[in-house]
Amino acid sequence: MKRRSFLKSTVLASAAGVVVGAGVLSPNVALAEKHGNNPFKAKSLDEVLKMLGATGAEASDKIKIKAPEIAENGAVVPVGITSEIPGTTEIISITAANPTPLSARYTFGEGAVPAIKSRFKMGKTTDVVALVKAGDKYYTAKANVKVTKGGCGG
Amino acid sequence: MAKSTIKLRTKEKGGKIQVKALITHPMETGLRKDKKTGKKIPEHYITEVVVTANGKPVLTANWSGSVSKNPFLSFSYAGTKDDKVKLTWKDNTGKSDSIEKKVGEK
Repeated sequence: MKRRSFLKSTVLASAAGVVVGAGVLSPNVALAEKHGNNPFKAKSLDEVLKMLGATGAEASDKIKIKAPEIAENGAVVPVGITSEIPGTTEIISITAANPTPLSARYTFGEGAVPAIKSRFKMGKTTDVVALVKAGDKYYTAKANVKVTKGGCGG
Repeated sequence: MAKSTIKLRTKEKGGKIQVKALITHPMETGLRKDKKTGKKIPEHYITEVVVTANGKPVLTANWSGSVSKNPFLSFSYAGTKDDKVKLTWKDNTGKSDSIEKKVGEK
């Protein structure tokens, strides 16, 4: 009995913690002052997501990331991102472990196929996070790339 | 004319135009140090790439220093063989370059 009530209370406490945490995260006034609200200057994945207003991005299997599992040379890692979500207007590529994670933001014009290929630098083993904007919503997917030789100042 | 910093290749395939571009640029992040002097190399990277077809924008790319040196870009759009594809880049020091080619032109 004791154990059960203990569990209950911890669950409740952590749920409350999440609520409070969410409340702290939503206004990004402090962040805006620090970096002039330029997501390209953001220093972490969370900051980037907040600045783009994409914290609630939905995970989607309609986004395909083509990246090597192991990259020998982190200075040049070929990455391809394809979105099969109808109405895709933007593809954003984020290299989570880089000092400035937001790598590239592609905005598509009329008739463009929402698929890009580019090469990125990766300082160390990292997640590549793809954000796709379709309509007013963000969708996300990620892939892990193991880097055996760093690309930043290596 | 000085050699362009951009290599642009376009190809028509099934109503889609595939665009491949290779830009010659150092893409310094501003975090790397010069091995001899120990001083940081100032950041120097492309911030914006705009691709237009017949004057209409088909792709706008905003980049950070995380994009690799001599960046490569590939994508496709629905178009025809007669399109004129133009690519323009701008970097954080205010430099820019552009190139315009007909689809298929080498």
